[in-house]
Amino acid sequence: MKGQNLNNIQAAIRQGELSVTQVVNHYLAQIEDSLPLNIYIEVFAEEAKKQAQALDEKLAAGESVGKLYGSVISIKDVICYEGHQVTAASKILEGFTSQFTATALQRLLDEDAIVIGRTNCDEFAMGSANENSVYGVTPNGVNSERVAGGSSGAAAVSVQQDTCLVALGTDTGGSVRQPAGFNGVIGMKPTYGRVSRYGVIAYGSSFDQIGVLGQHMEDVGEFLLTMAGEDPMDCTSSSQPVKTESSSQGQVSFAYIDEVMNHEKLHGAIATSSHALMDRLESEGHAVSKVQFPLLKYLVPAYYVLTTAEASSNLGRYDGIRYGYRSEAADSIKNVYQKTRSEGFGSEVKRRIMLGTFVLSSGYYDAYYTKAQKVRRLVTEAIHEIFENHDFLILPTTPNVAWKIGAHQDDPVEVYLSDIYTVIANLTGIPAISLPLATDADGNPFGIQLMSKKFSEAELIAVSEMLIST
Amino acid sequence: MSKSDYEIIIGLEVHVQLNTKTKIFCGDQNSFGELANRHTSSISLAHPGTLPRVNREAINKGIALALALGSEINQENRFDRKHYFYPDLPKAYQITQDRLPICVGGSIDIPSGDTTRTIRFHHTHMEEDAGKSIHDLDPKNSMIDLNRAGTPLLEIVTEPDMRSAQEVHDFIATLQQLVRYIGISDANMEEGSMRCDCNVSVRLKGDTQLNNRCEVKNINSKKFAMQAVAYEAQRQIKLMEQGEHIDQQTLHFDSETGRTSSTRDKEDAHDYRYFPDPDLPPVYITDEEIAQIKEQMPILPQAQKQLYIEQDIKAEHAELLIQERATVTFTNELLQAHQDSSAAVNFMINKVLPTTKEDYHDDLTTFPLTVAQCAAFLKLIDAGKIIHSTAYQQLYPALLADPTADPAALCESMGLSQSNDTDLIDDLIQAVIQENPDEVKKYQKGKKGLIGFFVGKVMKESKGKADPKLIQQKLTEALQS
Repeated sequence: MKGQNLNNIQAAIRQGELSVTQVVNHYLAQIEDSLPLNIYIEVFAEEAKKQAQALDEKLAAGESVGKLYGSVISIKDVICYEGHQVTAASKILEGFTSQFTATALQRLLDEDAIVIGRTNCDEFAMGSANENSVYGVTPNGVNSERVAGGSSGAAAVSVQQDTCLVALGTDTGGSVRQPAGFNGVIGMKPTYGRVSRYGVIAYGSSFDQIGVLGQHMEDVGEFLLTMAGEDPMDCTSSSQPVKTESSSQGQVSFAYIDEVMNHEKLHGAIATSSHALMDRLESEGHAVSKVQFPLLKYLVPAYYVLTTAEASSNLGRYDGIRYGYRSEAADSIKNVYQKTRSEGFGSEVKRRIMLGTFVLSSGYYDAYYTKAQKVRRLVTEAIHEIFENHDFLILPTTPNVAWKIGAHQDDPVEVYLSDIYTVIANLTGIPAISLPLATDADGNPFGIQLMSKKFSEAELIAVSEMLIST
Repeated sequence: MSKSDYEIIIGLEVHVQLNTKTKIFCGDQNSFGELANRHTSSISLAHPGTLPRVNREAINKGIALALALGSEINQENRFDRKHYFYPDLPKAYQITQDRLPICVGGSIDIPSGDTTRTIRFHHTHMEEDAGKSIHDLDPKNSMIDLNRAGTPLLEIVTEPDMRSAQEVHDFIATLQQLVRYIGISDANMEEGSMRCDCNVSVRLKGDTQLNNRCEVKNINSKKFAMQAVAYEAQRQIKLMEQGEHIDQQTLHFDSETGRTSSTRDKEDAHDYRYFPDPDLPPVYITDEEIAQIKEQMPILPQAQKQLYIEQDIKAEHAELLIQERATVTFTNELLQAHQDSSAAVNFMINKVLPTTKEDYHDDLTTFPLTVAQCAAFLKLIDAGKIIHSTAYQQLYPALLADPTADPAALCESMGLSQSNDTDLIDDLIQAVIQENPDEVKKYQKGKKGLIGFFVGKVMKESKGKADPKLIQQKLTEALQS
């Protein structure tokens, strides 16, 4: 069954060639084989087997089952699952068990998806390489000397290694799409507000969205749309009805950003393959046009000012008072805070908390936070303008391929800058997908991104299927 | 310079806990006085992954207050985060309204001698309360109770319009009455559902500039507010007299010594790093919603008082009747049911309110008699079925003791019905005259005041059933002969 999509798995189950238990066992064996990659923080093996058995019994009895029966998923360790630990790969949440299930995950469970385990990630989803985890690095699934990408690095590898059908990650600035690109799988981030954030450990609240990683476009689309829809527990979730059918057919129009394709940091192989794809699209009768986007250089600074500001606030709750890690050395109230947070958070998280605290400080607020909000508004307007004349924006997922583990350890800004193509979608709230495009001369995969206007997931899924199938 | 050369300037920040069913940003019950940490879901505890959602009932109560204070209502409400670390603040930030408060402006009138004074409001914003830290239960540890964390608060900020401790008292009392009236809070200062910070400064009379002010935090009674303001004003005047500078600072009021002292918590040095809460999109209030709440608003106390006066109720009686909304409701229903308004008001003031105060914790909603019973009771008197004094002195306590009884039936069964049997009255009069020859002589010699004595005697003999007017008339005749 290796590499089969959900349609094929369900067909085999219906024909009695496969059981859900066998599906689960297959993935458990794959997990066993990929142990050196450090993909999972925890595997829910026995629980998954039990759920599989119960489903098999239901199927045998002819009872009705959810539409995702036979599917097995991994969840990034920032998604709450009742009765299960969730730590955001941080020491500060050591041993913490969630009392509820994230709304989006619950919608999948209600359709009989089985969770096989929680995947490693960058601590509190802060990172682009899955190197910032208290549980250690998860290396790239294609080349283990290189980084998996981040922050949903292990989620991408969990799919790439066929340890589950799809993986749930979160995407604040590209955390689903970039590792998908680095590992040669699909990664999709929906419109901000399309999928509930309730039960997702917050990093940058006005940016975070759950995203789906998978090998097959139809699975990614199906899971994403199943999770989508308004949630009364999340005021920022949209009440717009979830559209599952694409309204555009046949020829569509693509825009590419001149400044992106001429970006000095863009890897030659990525530029070449991207241009080749655009040529192909044009030859197939689609419109492909160049647009200008002079704001490009402001994206990463604005993104980091705003997300660190929100993060500095969101992470205040990890104080050692009510749950999680508390420093043994704490002997006063001040110490409970200082020692707990100094010892409990990793260095990248502390760096971002300090950055965010700084940009919100009185005297600096307007120079940083207010200005970054203005950039965000300008970028959103500019992107909106592009979509007035074009259906899709097409651009590489990353300027480069996965770097060697440890290569940028002393240069966080260099890593931040590599988010340049993905943060557009988070700053503006639009949906985006990364599709595997090609590999460089050394066999390192990279992806191509498509973005579209808000709440046009159905169109984005349809055009992605078109692109992948040919 | 003497004390009278100074002017005291006071502005208040009053926190009012709203009596919503649930907390402002989650579904936990909003209640007071229960076991610690009973209403603490994952959201109240700020567990990872939780998000706030706005309780519309709290917004509606904010709108009601705006209507009562004559404030402008911001129809676009935004929430901001105010950051500080404290163990009873689970998220390490408080959700509040920093930039766009729900109410702007407005005013209320407070009594001031024979007239009134207007106190203006700067704004009122919504926010969530923190939990409680308890430092005196355990010698080594502090205890945290998060039941209160997330209770909806309105912070009502006045302009610096008060000029004396008495005005502070009267302002709080008026505001307290108003928020109770519109039903948004029980405004109980002892239980902390209403508390205030007093900003005090002093200046020489005639000065137009405001001097540095000091903020006395967290005052939980009207009396303490008066004491704190008076002490603080004195302290500042003394400093000014000595030519010293008044530092702007945050103070704590010690109710045992009656003094204020510096909190030393560098409150003023805090950088709260306010920024818009990304979890809460703006909450919009439509004209329709405002109109709907307006429709449900009760008549406010001062307007009700005016209405009573127009119904020929004495001003001092009207004042007593408008103290609480429950009283107004009861009174209005009684006035509906019983046409003789002066009898109804008299009954409210002399019987219902004192009884409620003495025996029912001043809570009219627990008074045992219904409006219908009270009306039936008054009707008995009105129809001459029972003597007024007998009704008040005997039937009323009996009714209270047996609240389900029908007043007419009870009157009958107790044998209290008025008797106008003139033969019987004549007999009783004759008996009283014969039994009191000395008084009769004195009366006949001109001590006419003794008539009351004879009426009383006859009344007593009639067991309160005879009409005193009739007795007096017949007595006067009998004593003359």
